[in-house]
Amino acid sequence: MRKMMMSAAAFALLALAPQSGWTQVATVTPGKDVSMVLLPKFLGILPFDQAHKGAEEAAKELQNPAALQFLGPTPQNSVAGQIEIVTNATTQGVKAIMISNNSGDQIAPAAKVAQAKGVKVVTWDSPIPSAEGEDVFVAQVDFSEIGKVMADMALSILGPNGGKFAILSASPDASNQNAWIAAMKTALKDPKYAQLNLVDTVYGNDESEKSYTQAQALVDKYPDLRLIMAPTSVGIVAAAKALQDEKLCDKVKVSGLGLPSEMLAYTKNGCAPQFALWSFVDLGYLAYYTAYALATGAIKAEEGAKFKAGRMGDYAITKDPTRAKGLRVLMGPFTVYTKDNVEAAAK
Amino acid sequence: MTGAGAALKRWETLMFVLLVAIIALNSLDSRYFLSIGNFVNLFQLSIEKSIVALTMTLVIIGGEIDLSVASVMGLAACVAAWTFQHGAPMPLAVLLALAAGIVAGLNNAFWIAYVGLPSLAVTLAGLIGYRGVARIFLEDRAIGGFPEWFNQLGQQPIIGPLTASIVIFFILFVFFAVILHSSALGRMIYAIGSNVQAARYSGVRVGLIKTDLFVASAFVAALAGVLYAARLGSVRGDMAEGFELDIITAVLLGGVSIFGGKGNLAGVGLAILVILNLRNGMGLANITGNTQNYVIGGLLVFSVLAPNVWQDVRNTWRGREI
Repeated sequence: MRKMMMSAAAFALLALAPQSGWTQVATVTPGKDVSMVLLPKFLGILPFDQAHKGAEEAAKELQNPAALQFLGPTPQNSVAGQIEIVTNATTQGVKAIMISNNSGDQIAPAAKVAQAKGVKVVTWDSPIPSAEGEDVFVAQVDFSEIGKVMADMALSILGPNGGKFAILSASPDASNQNAWIAAMKTALKDPKYAQLNLVDTVYGNDESEKSYTQAQALVDKYPDLRLIMAPTSVGIVAAAKALQDEKLCDKVKVSGLGLPSEMLAYTKNGCAPQFALWSFVDLGYLAYYTAYALATGAIKAEEGAKFKAGRMGDYAITKDPTRAKGLRVLMGPFTVYTKDNVEAAAK
Repeated sequence: MTGAGAALKRWETLMFVLLVAIIALNSLDSRYFLSIGNFVNLFQLSIEKSIVALTMTLVIIGGEIDLSVASVMGLAACVAAWTFQHGAPMPLAVLLALAAGIVAGLNNAFWIAYVGLPSLAVTLAGLIGYRGVARIFLEDRAIGGFPEWFNQLGQQPIIGPLTASIVIFFILFVFFAVILHSSALGRMIYAIGSNVQAARYSGVRVGLIKTDLFVASAFVAALAGVLYAARLGSVRGDMAEGFELDIITAVLLGGVSIFGGKGNLAGVGLAILVILNLRNGMGLANITGNTQNYVIGGLLVFSVLAPNVWQDVRNTWRGREI
């Protein structure tokens, strides 16, 4: 998994090189007293608690003597609450605020005031659309990257000799899944995936039962099928269960996008040896490193700046292709879960 | 009346002592608390609610309630944003937003003052209905990109460190204090709130005064909604959602009786200061979300309970003396 991330980072650097040249990869200095606030959309939601865990891990690694403040609004008061927290944090003179924004551009004026007072504003998970008041957005994934991740997982499961595989998707008109499948088809054109033979795409409408029967139908229709790729957390579980019930796990494997807690059993017993999802723990970790690097002056929030984010490796600030004025640090591609790391993630 | 007056004075004294205690604790707790910048922020972060609390005081003293204020705030902001996006110059968009407020107020007043429905039901319908209209205007989009002068109106100081919203709050505070406490209209509002039948038989034009109250309430809410849009620089359909409860909390904590006829604006002013300083202090102590709500909820229960308990204690005491 780390190898994958490194290669993605290297890829990003290569793409950048012609414009900005090879600038130094900044290493952050641990132990600086940098007060920071991690601001989720709301308190009491699991992914944000995971991000908090990741940020605390980074804080410990960087030996920041200032305790990380994990402050969030209640869902009923999310917009005004986030603005209030940003304003109070500015008054307190914190050095950086990490926001998972839930108020569109409404947070921008408060964030701009914070910036004017020298606070670094890093967004993660959800950016400020106009990018005003924001230094950089730590993006979890690039949707176009997922095609490559799925192709890589297929290659890794099927091996160099390849074989036949099919896609079990959500509904035929699900735009995100369709984008991911299209991206995967593009990725498959690379000669290194030449032995992977995509034979069919079926739809389980993100219903467990329909996905289950679709998976059964696939193995009946293609006796030499070796893999079902399901880019949906419903489809992947249903397909794995179908194959397990049919006792076909030795012959046909399952992969795709899924939640570790739901996939644990199937990954341990070999039905679904690999699947992917982004990790909110890593997202919190990377957001902390990014904010710390900015706040300590190790890097500036400008295109081409590079820094080392602890265990996750090197990252670069690039233009955000999804927003006209924004900058981003792309975490991606995904966390690939195997029997070695799924148990820890499922907790 | 003198007894009630004395009780009110005691209530304000209590609020004042509470305020001083909170300010003292905050100053000890956070070295960032005692600064002009922080005091401006503290006002500014809830200024729209504070403005609407002024008219809410008059409405509740008049024996009614207006639950639709937050939805009117949202509606006005959405009307301003939508008409601006569809080509209206910003000043016109603002006027249309304020007009929308007046229409909403007239609608409330019609059902309450002339049809005779209870304001709780009518303005609850308004809370849902005006929010619905606001959401129809904006769907799930956000509209921003207002002219720079409009955003600055909400974000930049105009007099010393004070923003336009804060200045408007103080002007309206004085204006409504004069109306409530030194005008015939004010006395009639108290009369209606104390005993509507008696007021009617004494020749008070109850319907007209209730209309005044609800139109003023919705108009001021619309103004606050526009100021909120200017402060945030962008408008969404869910703007100001849930604010009505914070607003009513401030009024009740200010010693205004939910049954009407009792209370004054000074008490509400003190209550606003208590809530704002409490929230700010907790915010600076990194206490957020549910804990803040819990403390302010507790304060409200205390505010309703304390006078009654005090009354009971006093009655018992007097009973013994006699």
